[in-house]
Amino acid sequence: MLLGVDVGGTFTDVVLLADDATVHTAKVPSTPSEESLAVLEAVRAVLALAGARAQDIERFAHGMTVATNALLEGRTARTALLATAGFTDVIELARQNRPHLYELCRAAPTPLVPAELRFAVPERMAPDGPLKALEPTAARELVAALAASEPEAVAVALLHSYADPAHEQLLARLLAELVPAVHVSLSYELVGTFREFERTATTVLDAALSPLLSSYLGRLSQDARELGLCEPQIMQSSGGLTDPAHAGAHAALTVLSGPAGGVGGALALAALAQETDVLCFDMGGTSCDVCVIEGSQVPETAERTIAGRPLALPALDIHTVGAGGGSIAWRDAGGALRVGPASAGADPGPACYGRGGEQATVTDANLLLGRLLEDSPLAGGLELDREAAERAIACLGRELGLGPIDCALGIVHVAEAEMLGALRVMSVERGVDPRGFALMPFGGAGPLHAAALARELGVSRILCPRASGVLCALGLAAAAPRRDAARTVMLDADALSPERLSRERDKLIDEASAALSSAPWRIRVRHELRYAGQSFELAVEEELAPAAHDPGGRDLGALDPDALCAEFARAHELRYGYRDDRAAVELVNLRVSVWGASPALRPRVQGGQHPDTDVRPIVFDRGEALPASILRGELAPGTRVCGPALCALPEATLLVAPGWSGEVDEFATIRLMSA
Amino acid sequence: VSALDPIELQVVTGSLRAACEEMGVVLIRSAHSSNIKERRDASTALFDAGGQMVMQAEHIPVHLGAMPAAVAAVLGESHAEGVSWILNDPFAGGTHLPDITVITPVFAPGKRSRERSHEVLLGFAASRAHHADVGARVPGSMPAESRRLEEEGVVISPRPLDPSSAEGQRTIEELVARMRQPHERRADLRAQLAANRAGAQRLIELAHRVGIDRLHEATDAVLDYSERRTRACLASLPDGVLHAEDVLEAREGELVLRLRAVVAGERLLLDFSGSATQHDGNLNCPLAVTRSACLFAVRVLTDPDIPPSAGAYRPIEVRVPEGTLLNARPGAAVAAGNVETSSRVADLVLSAFGRAQGQGTMNNLTLGNNDFSYYETLGGGQGACAHADGPSGVHVAMSNTLNTPIEALEREFPLRVIEYALRRGSGGCGRHRGGDGVVRELEALAAMSFSLIAERRRQQPRGADGGEPGACGRDLLDGRPLRSKITGALLPGQRLRIETPGGGGFGDAREPQH
Repeated sequence: MLLGVDVGGTFTDVVLLADDATVHTAKVPSTPSEESLAVLEAVRAVLALAGARAQDIERFAHGMTVATNALLEGRTARTALLATAGFTDVIELARQNRPHLYELCRAAPTPLVPAELRFAVPERMAPDGPLKALEPTAARELVAALAASEPEAVAVALLHSYADPAHEQLLARLLAELVPAVHVSLSYELVGTFREFERTATTVLDAALSPLLSSYLGRLSQDARELGLCEPQIMQSSGGLTDPAHAGAHAALTVLSGPAGGVGGALALAALAQETDVLCFDMGGTSCDVCVIEGSQVPETAERTIAGRPLALPALDIHTVGAGGGSIAWRDAGGALRVGPASAGADPGPACYGRGGEQATVTDANLLLGRLLEDSPLAGGLELDREAAERAIACLGRELGLGPIDCALGIVHVAEAEMLGALRVMSVERGVDPRGFALMPFGGAGPLHAAALARELGVSRILCPRASGVLCALGLAAAAPRRDAARTVMLDADALSPERLSRERDKLIDEASAALSSAPWRIRVRHELRYAGQSFELAVEEELAPAAHDPGGRDLGALDPDALCAEFARAHELRYGYRDDRAAVELVNLRVSVWGASPALRPRVQGGQHPDTDVRPIVFDRGEALPASILRGELAPGTRVCGPALCALPEATLLVAPGWSGEVDEFATIRLMSA
Repeated sequence: VSALDPIELQVVTGSLRAACEEMGVVLIRSAHSSNIKERRDASTALFDAGGQMVMQAEHIPVHLGAMPAAVAAVLGESHAEGVSWILNDPFAGGTHLPDITVITPVFAPGKRSRERSHEVLLGFAASRAHHADVGARVPGSMPAESRRLEEEGVVISPRPLDPSSAEGQRTIEELVARMRQPHERRADLRAQLAANRAGAQRLIELAHRVGIDRLHEATDAVLDYSERRTRACLASLPDGVLHAEDVLEAREGELVLRLRAVVAGERLLLDFSGSATQHDGNLNCPLAVTRSACLFAVRVLTDPDIPPSAGAYRPIEVRVPEGTLLNARPGAAVAAGNVETSSRVADLVLSAFGRAQGQGTMNNLTLGNNDFSYYETLGGGQGACAHADGPSGVHVAMSNTLNTPIEALEREFPLRVIEYALRRGSGGCGRHRGGDGVVRELEALAAMSFSLIAERRRQQPRGADGGEPGACGRDLLDGRPLRSKITGALLPGQRLRIETPGGGGFGDAREPQH
């Protein structure tokens, strides 16, 4: 049995995949002050539901927000930084651009290391090796001075250490000797790629969050043990799992783990539906996360940011916009209807939650249009107050000169335009044509907006999983272990020999494989290339059959640099509309990822019955109310769904617009086609 | 009031904004000049068929009000599908010579493709980028001591460019042959054309969405909307007449700039009468650059959420007598006007409205020889605000470009960075402190020329409301002070150190904080 537990801002979701492939789900309120409480409660709840014992669980996968919340709330460790002399302010100078063009005093996030805890290391590396050697005596004195400042964590980030880590390694040995109890993060080991500010900032973030994360994971492992549960496996920002010791030692690896589980769930269900190209969007209460599955893969990037700080580590390429169910609608000074980014959150929540919220939100608009059922309580036992929603929307409508229904339609339309923008950023702006893709909505609110977005994007297929309301937890249960290793190699055309390429690559494969506790099932090499003179790289990927990788035998087959360059030129043309065959290509970074085995996910529907159906009016885009069939409860495979209709799933609501129809497949995914 | 309802208005505005952003992504990510790719010294915009700017992506403020002049310069020409326009002449749509603008007319695809004559002009997509070199004696084309425009590089008067034709290819080859690193220039131009193609595609999609016949109505509605928002902001400022005076540090002495700002209801007049006449150096500005700086400052003073379109600027009148430093006559040298004088114009407007001053310079440093050109601008202290300290080590006004990472710079150029740090204590004291400047010291590893254009070396950035001024900047060659506008040579091993100014403080430091 496989267990996935995902902690969100409002709810902690759990999915249990039983040995007979039955899926059990539960939702409990999150406990932000100590996340592990809700985690264990959710586990107990789902075990009871499935009639299973903790000992039956083979794997317990966990997605959490401990590190993220600590960062947002400023609960970071007292962190010291060892940086090259003359460059200790790099962490504060950042890239010298101001965060807002016109709000001149808006400050960038304060560095996680104050000036007095930045220590200047008397050394200097150049791109091709040491310029000024680090003398062991001087290094020892410096580390002793650092120890006297009593830090809880230390980040080491020296210039050009990706090219030659000898000085960082020397400092690491001295730190282990002189302050053995203090957490240490090394930039060459954690990041390994060039651009000093991003590497330093990532290393500092890692150091500042690791002590806290490590103690949380220690407590959770202990509690799990007492319950008879196996050790938790932790979701990383990359979408792969790692063990608690590694996660606790490198908090930066999991700081964007939140939505990563959902992407895994989407990938697994898309594969079952035999769809290779899928646009996914996860809409919750405050925001909407968008990602693209192309060729059964989700692109990755090492250029994401968190709370204004760069994160130069592999992360799934997910784009977030502030459009959620709780986003507040308002009229601006020019008379336009706006939605978000302010959100009513979970408390007071939308007006229809009846907790004192008075401003109109997207959820209120959906309720007024009949797209949410007031008598079908949302997850968590919430009753919806239609009158409160109507009051809030009528009030905004008067300001805008619109009737309540037109105003509600407008709110939905403007929110959808925001989501559409996010979907475009992830598709057309990256050279991906969305027509021909399927659209997969998830999160509690996503499936309400799928049909409208599909029409705008020219998409004719929608996949709505039965578990779309808890897809993150499902994705966790189905995730595979993963390790990464990266290095800036900066090889120009002359140095790009097959031998050199294989040597650099195999070094990284060995490093990543050694860290994985089991034998690799999948190895992927990303070659980040650019035309000499450019500053942004494009990745050319290579999948290696793990059997071919024999740590003793060495030979993985020589790579052909010409093929690599040709593939890069093709990618460049696709993305930017031109190629330049006269320009030299250089290999900037190599990134290797290795995966362990992932469990096969084939969810089986339990107790699916042909649903009770009734008919109610729903307002669709043109403003007219159409009689729509309302389907409730578990939908059995083969159930026909024909728009206009509404499917009230256990944790989400799917709106089926006129012109859309389809049926429930064997994995309980509702598959719709437009006429 | 509007042809669009409040919902459509928001959706059309969003689409235009997204289209301009997308153009910027294509341009920045595929360009070769480090100015464009690392420093993002580039802008993209969409225009209606009448040449009004309907939206601009905001990468760098100095291009804000100057893009419309470029389209105005070619508006009267006859346009054909696939034929773009290229220009950099500061007195015919440009700003300074390194900024090359490419303008692409956008046509609705004809119902029958052979009926070209029936194609409808929907508007224009335009991109502007700071190229690393456009000729001139000094690599990097930012000479510190030029006196006439032609000393600053290749002057491109607006000319047609059809990259798919042999003639278009010849145009490109002929232009880049007169610049350094022609291969890189060619690639940058290609990136600009690609950006315009992306913008054109989105404008066509929008036209299909709202209806080709209604596109004009829709973009007009966006312009009117921006205007309403600006008017609402201006109306909230107290009516009255404000004055400000400041100087530029020319070689021959200080040049005085004067501003009289008149707020009257929903309108704003910025009158620079009484400012210095144009001079024999390169601090001169074409009017478009002065307008840009004014519009930047107004955006700071009003609401930055207002869509940056021509409509937003209708209630603002910028009055500058011809022949002055801020509205120079054709032929004047302008290299520093775009970067330094523009900063001072923004200072004047912000000072008039009671703001403390930021570093007021971009500290332009260009290095190069026949193998490379490298241009960087350095951040400094921001002026403090009424409720917050000024940030340190940032670009303060007309620029917001990124630095080049040391680990990239040392790989690409024969340079070593000796120090890069905050210049602590350089910000002015006050109830809120001005931001600190930075220290940057470089060592040449090969023989090269350098060109430095900086300001606020003699006049400190002022504080406001009793706040103290920030420290002046200074520049040293192997420890010896340099003039702030100078071209010279570096031998291997020589070190150039630049210390940038701090920002002014706000409020009296002795008064308790509110």
